[in-house]
Amino acid sequence: MNISDLPVGAAFTVRKVRSGREVGKRLVDMGFTEGASGRLLRKAFLSGPLQVEIRGYDVIIRRSEAAMIEVAEDDQGAGDARTA
Amino acid sequence: MPVLLETRAATVKIALAGNPNAGKTSLFNALTGAHHKVGNYPGVTIEKREGERRRDGRTYRFVDLPGIYSLTAYSLDEVVTRDCLLDEPPDLIIDVLDSTNLERHLFLCLQFQELGIPVIGALNMSDEAKARGIEIDERGLGRLLGIPVTSTIATSGQGIDGLLDLVDESLARLGTDTRRLDYGSEIEALIAPLERAIEANSSFAEKYPSRWLAVKLIEKDENAFERLAEHPEADSIRALARRASEWIGRHFGKDAEIVISEQRYAYIHGACSESVRRKFRPAPTPSERIDGIVMHPLLSLPIFALVLWGIFELTFSVGKWPMAWIETFFRWLSSLAAAFLPAGPLHSLVIDGVLAGVGSVLSFVPLIIILFFLLSVLEDTGYLSRAAFATDRLLHGFGLHGQSIFPLMLGFGCSVPAIMAARTLKSPRDRILTVLVIPFMSCGAKLPVHVLFAAAFFPKNPALAVMVVYAAGAIVALAAALVLRRTILKGEPTPFVMELPPWRAPTLRGLLWHVGEKTTTYAKKAGTVILAASILIWAITSFPAYSPKAGEREALAAAWSGAHPGASQAAIDAALSTELAARGLSGSIAGSFGHLVEPLIRPLGLDWKVGVATVTGFAAKEVVVSTLGILYGVGSDQGGSASLRERIAADPSWSPLTAITLMLFILLIPPCFAAMATMRAELGWGWLAFSIGFQLAVGWLAGFAVFQIGSALGFA
Repeated sequence: MNISDLPVGAAFTVRKVRSGREVGKRLVDMGFTEGASGRLLRKAFLSGPLQVEIRGYDVIIRRSEAAMIEVAEDDQGAGDARTA
Repeated sequence: MPVLLETRAATVKIALAGNPNAGKTSLFNALTGAHHKVGNYPGVTIEKREGERRRDGRTYRFVDLPGIYSLTAYSLDEVVTRDCLLDEPPDLIIDVLDSTNLERHLFLCLQFQELGIPVIGALNMSDEAKARGIEIDERGLGRLLGIPVTSTIATSGQGIDGLLDLVDESLARLGTDTRRLDYGSEIEALIAPLERAIEANSSFAEKYPSRWLAVKLIEKDENAFERLAEHPEADSIRALARRASEWIGRHFGKDAEIVISEQRYAYIHGACSESVRRKFRPAPTPSERIDGIVMHPLLSLPIFALVLWGIFELTFSVGKWPMAWIETFFRWLSSLAAAFLPAGPLHSLVIDGVLAGVGSVLSFVPLIIILFFLLSVLEDTGYLSRAAFATDRLLHGFGLHGQSIFPLMLGFGCSVPAIMAARTLKSPRDRILTVLVIPFMSCGAKLPVHVLFAAAFFPKNPALAVMVVYAAGAIVALAAALVLRRTILKGEPTPFVMELPPWRAPTLRGLLWHVGEKTTTYAKKAGTVILAASILIWAITSFPAYSPKAGEREALAAAWSGAHPGASQAAIDAALSTELAARGLSGSIAGSFGHLVEPLIRPLGLDWKVGVATVTGFAAKEVVVSTLGILYGVGSDQGGSASLRERIAADPSWSPLTAITLMLFILLIPPCFAAMATMRAELGWGWLAFSIGFQLAVGWLAGFAVFQIGSALGFA
């Protein structure tokens, strides 16, 4: 699954960033590395961009970029990423 | 490679670098005080700030590099930073780090370390970190990374002396710390032979840090390969690097450039988990609560519209006062000049050319100051990123970017600050695209033209007619973006990966700094060109000088008073001078040009008068109205526009259809010289030339289509 499949508020762990040359590298450089934990904070209306927390800061990505990031949803209560 | 310094060099060159939103500019201001100068990096419009500070007999020269996330060149800012560090390496880099967000900020820091330039870290916003319960063991972190760090609070100037002490200390024991990022034994085994191969040529290794280049080659960085071409053994090194990347790809099951970044993060994470402690978990911050409203899926767009409306209201309602003062001042100056200069070409040049030109440049300055002040508030608080979040979906459909929204909207006010505001777009392609379509947004100076024709031909509902023209402009802008994006600005969509910084209170100092910088840039760059253009327009409307033939004056006066029996002498004189002005303009170069282009705009239902007004309108779009005033013989004075409206309405060559055509034509053809000059400054001559051609084509085609289709439907 990727980030846009998650419900708002869900915590996740990054499994893999599918290569997309520039996009993929950029996402990894911004902190979406394997094993990094984050949280989906907000979805803009009508398939607009997503607000995602990763490595303790917030980033906005489009759904097309989110599709490059394979994640696993963390169990409920497994840790609030905001304060992890 | 940095030259080994004497125990204490008198002058040290320091680059200030770091991620965006780390408080880099604040730290630069705190370090340099008022001693700075602003220039541009060669060939690009990214501002280059330089400044210095003296302490204990030592001069610290600072250069403020653009804020970036990585040294892989995705954006112009990254290219500038990389080239600056490689081609004119400083003695030391101060990396400004956000203490609340250390891992990502260190990601860049370690790439600086690889460049072989000494790096120290300023743990900035340490107060914010403390408030959030983050405790950093500075010594421990510095030791683990091989990068000395010290905490600072740039906004209040705390920690500056400590930072300078650290600079001295680091320069004194240069080269003693050899710690560096470890990519793990497997990857290190691939880097080592590459490094050796690069170092085999000493003059090349002198120029480029071998380890940095080796890693970049494995990362398949295009620029690294370009630089490698200078190496005599470039081919074999290239092959070696390629094999290394392929091996990593196979072994790790993902691309080498991703593995390298992941290794960096893993290393950083290790160092941070040993030296950064979270003492408590903070409650939801006010920032998050504000976002709950401002970024709400349903509220975000209405809030954005409200903010936009507020900016326009404030800018134009507050700005009209100083604008009027400046205009009054220049009228006074003109009358003063008129009193001293004898009538003749010099008189005319000074008053109608120079003073009118300078006056029009300066009258824009208040708008620019206010607009940029408000825009800086939005940028510094973090609202611009939220607006991009709200509008990206809409704009993305047209090949634009969420961050294009503000420049576009500012275009309704004035294209000059709007084009400058497009600097907030980081990708060159998005920026070019945005700048190219900004002039289609109907600017404030075009409003008098719309109002004149709407009132003359749509007396029942002039506001609706003006609205239609504005909407048409916005639609053309979006359509043009879509077309350009599919043709000359083709390419994969730019990734939209944008940091969302927490809300922050802007500092007055930072705001004034932004505003001062932008205003002087405008006054300098656009100013000179507008002045030259105004003189040019003056020249082509004044020459060849027109002097009535013997008896022409009397004949005209007699004819006019015959047609208006009982008119006073003053009225006859006024009518005579307007008529003479019209004849003069018609016979001038501009008039001849109007006649010359008439065949071109005939298919649009427009005549030579519009041709002349089009030309003079390049000085400023309001001038279209005053030129038509002269040509319709009503004078260009303030009271003229009511009678101009009547004249135009009564002229059988006009109809509601031609009026709409003219409004569209004036809206869509190239903007005034001020906007063109700004476009040249931002994008260069090539894009300016393209834009002029493109807008002429769009303006003509739109006018042609509307007039011909309208005529065919019987609206003429």
